[in-house]
This record gives sequence, C-alpha cells and structure tokens, in this order.
Amino acid sequence: MPLLEIRNLVTAFHTPAGRVPAVDGVSLSIERGTTLGLVGESGCGKSVTAMSVLGLVASPGRIEAGQILLDRDGRSIDLVGLPERQLRTIRGGRIGMIFQEPMTSLNPVFTVGNQVTEAVRLHQKVSRQAARARALELLRLVRIADPERRLDEYPHQLSGGMRQRVVIAMALACEPDLLIADEPTTALDVTIQAQVLELLADLRQRLGMAILLITHDLGVVAETCDEVAVMYAGRIVERAAAASLFARPLHPYTIGLLAARPEHRRAAADPLAAIPGMVPQPRDFPAGCRFHPRCPFAREPRCTAELPSLRELEPGHLVRCHYAGDLGDPATVPAEARAE
Amino acid sequence: MSDAAAPLLAVSDLETHFPIRRGLFRRVVGQVRAVDGISFTIQRGRTLGLVGESGCGKTTAGRSILRLVEPTAGSVRFAGREVRAERPATLRSLRRRMQIVFQDPYGSLNPRMTVRALLEEGLLVHRMGDSRERLRRMTAALERTGMPAATLARYPHEFSGGQRQRIAIARAVVLEPEFLVLDEPISALDVSIQAQVVNLLVELRRELGLTYLFVSHDLSVVEYISDDVAVMYLGRLVETAPAADLYARPLHPYTHALFSAVPSVEAERRRRRIILPGDVPSPARPPAGCRFHPRCPLAEAVCREVDPPATVVGGHRVHCHVAARELSAGDAAAASARIASLLAAGGGPPDGTAKLRGDAAEEVSPSSPSGSGKATP
Repeated sequence: MPLLEIRNLVTAFHTPAGRVPAVDGVSLSIERGTTLGLVGESGCGKSVTAMSVLGLVASPGRIEAGQILLDRDGRSIDLVGLPERQLRTIRGGRIGMIFQEPMTSLNPVFTVGNQVTEAVRLHQKVSRQAARARALELLRLVRIADPERRLDEYPHQLSGGMRQRVVIAMALACEPDLLIADEPTTALDVTIQAQVLELLADLRQRLGMAILLITHDLGVVAETCDEVAVMYAGRIVERAAAASLFARPLHPYTIGLLAARPEHRRAAADPLAAIPGMVPQPRDFPAGCRFHPRCPFAREPRCTAELPSLRELEPGHLVRCHYAGDLGDPATVPAEARAE
Repeated sequence: MSDAAAPLLAVSDLETHFPIRRGLFRRVVGQVRAVDGISFTIQRGRTLGLVGESGCGKTTAGRSILRLVEPTAGSVRFAGREVRAERPATLRSLRRRMQIVFQDPYGSLNPRMTVRALLEEGLLVHRMGDSRERLRRMTAALERTGMPAATLARYPHEFSGGQRQRIAIARAVVLEPEFLVLDEPISALDVSIQAQVVNLLVELRRELGLTYLFVSHDLSVVEYISDDVAVMYLGRLVETAPAADLYARPLHPYTHALFSAVPSVEAERRRRRIILPGDVPSPARPPAGCRFHPRCPLAEAVCREVDPPATVVGGHRVHCHVAARELSAGDAAAASARIASLLAAGGGPPDGTAKLRGDAAEEVSPSSPSGSGKATP
C-alpha cells in the first residue's frame, strides 16, 4: 500500500464569477521513503493539491470529490472529510510541511527556540526542558551551526537559507512519514538551494520519510525525484519515473517545456523553442484537451472536443494525450495562440 | 583610441555605497558597499550578462549606470559622455538613449494608467513628435513586441505576466534607445513564457541594433543571450570573460561553485556539485582580503589578507590568487581543469592550510567575516 494515495481529487473555488476548478480530477500515489516531484506553472493547481492533502484549502475553496488515503500503520484513512481535530494530529504529526517563503511559517516576534519547541510540544507531551533538548537536536539535524545560540535568536537575525532550515526542523519535529515541500528553494540563491536540496535528500535517507516536492524547476526535479507528475490546467498530464520522463517525455507539454530550455541552443541566431500562447487560468480552461490551444500537434476535432484519458503508454509511464507516442508532424499552430 | 573601438558603455571603478544611519541625529554609522569598485565595457550591439546571487549588487550596478541611484565614486561613460557629470537637463537627453526593464511587470506598470498613458509619458517628456506621430510610434513599438494596437486603450491588469513584460519592453523601446538595462526581465514569468520573452529580446537586439546589460541569476539564459559575462560577488566582479569561454573554462572558485549548483535536466551537463559552506556575508562588513575567502574551499593565507588583483588572459579576467598561480603555470584550460579538480577533492590547496567543507563549517556568520574554519594562517 502506498503511503499516500490521491484518487480523483476535485478542489474548486466558488467565487462571485462562478466555480473555478483549480484541481480537476488528480490521482497520485507516493511510496514510503520516495520523492515525488509535482511540476507545473502558476495556476496549474499544484499548490492547491498540496493544500487539499493538508486540509488547508481556505474558503471559498472546497474539496468536492475524491479521496486522499494515508497509510497509518497499515490502516488507510481518508483525509477528506476528516474532522478538524483529527486532521490536526496528522498535520504536523504524520505530515510535515514547508513553504516557499520561510517567513510565512515563522513568527517574527518569537525566538527560533520558542517556535521549534512549540512544534514539538503540540504533538508530544514532553516537558519544556525535554522539548528544548529536542529542538536543539533538530537544529543539529538540519545542520545549523552553533544551534544553542540560534535558539535564542529571532527569525530576522537569520539568513534566508538558515530560516528555511529552521522551518525544515519544525516540520521534522514529529518525524513525519511525509514531508510536503512547496517550492522550498525558489526563494533561495542557487548555492543555498544546493545546500537545502542536499539536506532534504540526506534527511529522506536517514529518516526514511517520503517527500512531495512541488516545484516549477525541471532541473530540481531531475536531480532529486524518483517519480514525477506534470500538471497542466488542473490535471495531471504525465506521470512516470523521473529517469523515464526525462529520457522520453511523451506529452507535448512536457516535450515543449524541455525543448524550451536555453541549454538546448548554443547560438542566439537559433531562437528558443518557445511554447506559444498563454498559461490558462482556472476560470477559463479550454474544452477538450486543455493544452490544445498551445499544442503544435493538436488535431481537429478530437483534441478540441474530447478530454483525453490518462493512459499507460509504457509500463509505469502515464500520459493524458490522444496521440502520445504517435504525435506526427507538428501542425500549424492557430494564429490566435501564437501571440501570447 | 579610434572611434570604432570606443565602447558604447565604459564603467570604471564604479562604487555605490548606501549610508547606514542610526540614532537621534541619523548619524552615519556605516556603509553598505552594494557596488564596490567594478569596471567593464560593452561594445555597441553586444550584450553583457551580469550574474550573481541576491545581494551581490548586480541590480544596484544596473541602476547606478542610469543614475536611478547615485553612484558614490567612479566613472560611467556612455557614448563618450560622462554620465556622472551630466546636469539634470542634459541627463534627461541621455536617459532617452538608455532605458531599463524591471523584473516585476506587476510592479513596474502603474495600474491606474492605460497602456497608452504609460507609453506616451516618455514621448511627452522627451518631446518626441506631435500627437499623431506619438500614436504611430506607440503602435509600432507594441507591434514590435507582439502586442496589438488595441492594447493602448487597456489597463495593465487586463494582461498576463508575459504580456505585461512585453508592454514594459515596448515602453522602453518606444523612445528608440540604444542601450537597455534588463534587470531580471524573465525571472517573474512562467517557464513556458520565459522562452517567448527571451526570443523577443534577441529579435529586438538584432532589428534595432540594441546593446544590453542583462542582469540575471539564471545562468543558462545568460549563457544563451550574452556575448560576455561578468560574475559578481559581494559588490565586486570576480570574473569576466566571453560567454563561451567562461562557461567552458571558469577560473574563479565561486564561478565553478555557481555553475555546479545549477540543477540540470541533462545528466551530462551536470557538474560535480561543489557545496559552498555558509551564506554570503553582509556587504556592510565585507571580509578582508578576497571577499570570497570565508566560503572558498581553496582559500589560503594570502586570500585572507590580500585583495586579489586582476589577472588577464586574453579576454578573460579573474580576481583570484589561486587562479593567478595556476595561470602562471599553464594556459586557461589547464588552470580551469586544475581548479575544478582541487574543488572536487574538497579543497585543501597545495600548502594544506585551509579545508573548509562539511558540517562543521556550515555557517559563516556575517559578523565574523574572518571565521574561516580551522585554518591556521
């Protein structure tokens, strides 16, 4: 049984302008001790998927359908519809979380020590002293030098990289089975990003924890994930082992993202293979295949009218495209899709 | 110097320091040395990529050139004129020729102005044409950036991030500048949109004969768009070279580490990762000697004391004691390979003074810039 299994999750926001289905039938699973990368651009629903798992979707958003099954000592519990009280023991207990901007998770008026010990004491009945000792141990685990001194400092006294380490320490307080990391390194510089990614990989190995890594950076996914799910406009469009996805992307969107990277071109005389058009926003997802207005391989009438199913084209490699594996020659992209 | 060889932009020993004020009388108690003595030139029609991490001073450098922030020392010569010596009236005429595009297309366009008002503002200031002529110029600029003329009547919020950045670019090119500072122009955009905007910038450069200073932390885009690249660290340029040269044969240990830190999709492009210990020190208290030494796995005694001068090999310029010694022993390719292997071995230079890796030396506090591990000078 996988540690976490999401089945046909639908999370929608009910706004005055109408229903906005940010996540529209997402299915995923994560095995214990592995890293799943969830990649996509702004508005694709990757963060809302994570918030749904955590039971943190804020009004006017609501989980409308689907199951989120968490393996708890061999018993599977559905997090959808679980009472808030029970959810609270899971959130921070079984499932830890870190976000892009560490300051959203840290309170500027409390010391690092206050906040890490609070995370410990919320889920474990231990004395203040024991909690402080545990906090110290956690700061050492995330390799913060001079942890005794850092415990008494305030978040503003720390650098961005160190703050993110403190947030990671808090997420690890209860030795979660699953860590959800939403763009954990996006706000950090590359040399600091390298430190944090290395730390996460090391912690995963040492603690046997699974990681759901949400990112827009394909390079980060390629270097840290076992499995990848690519999201586009509220849906998973491709799912595979990382090695297989990067060696042989099957969905035109994944192919396009990989081809657009500047590493593919040497001379500036050779333009980048840009994906035409705009990233669709949830309020106006197109009909049929949601990628069809930007897809160079789209064919009438199937792609414009019929939603493709997620099918297993190769063992373990799933793709949501009518023509994947047999894309043919790129068609002329409709003129209105060209100008972004 | 003959006119053909004169660069369009020549920056020498540029410094921009910001005072730190404290107390009742706002006494100056220190200086943030955001830009602390940088020199480079850009020939007409070429692009210089300026890379570095946040806080290294690259954005301040770009703004200092346009005098959007006032430099505190040094010289900026644009088309033969000293920008720093210009008076407000003459500076304005220079400003038309040097424009800037900012990172955030949400923040840089006033949401209460129509696109027409945004584009026309500069034309009015510079008295470029009557109303019909201005309309013609605005329509042409928008078309160049792939936006229809109908855009003029609309407001910025009606457009996506990529479209707004096109509008910001149109606002810059409508004044027919010769030089653009592009300050992280694609960093706020979605991945699938970035390539569109990069292609647009390359096209405009070719069609309008523009010269760019491309400020970015995205090393692969910089490699693609730039002729030359300068690497900045803590207010200084540590290495400058033609793009192909720099990416193939980096010399400075920081450049090596920076390149190795970029995650790549292609296994063959992945370099052996060099994890630098610690964080970038504060520019208010830059370390003595080489500013990179507290984080440098190859730092030696001399690095802690002596600010490394430039070593120049062909078009390649580097400020590093170790690189200078390696260059005196062999050519740039050999020196680059040798520095890479020293870094891969985890530091420990020939004289075995400093070794700075792993958990123990994880954090180097800004307040103790000389905290270089267990090194014994």
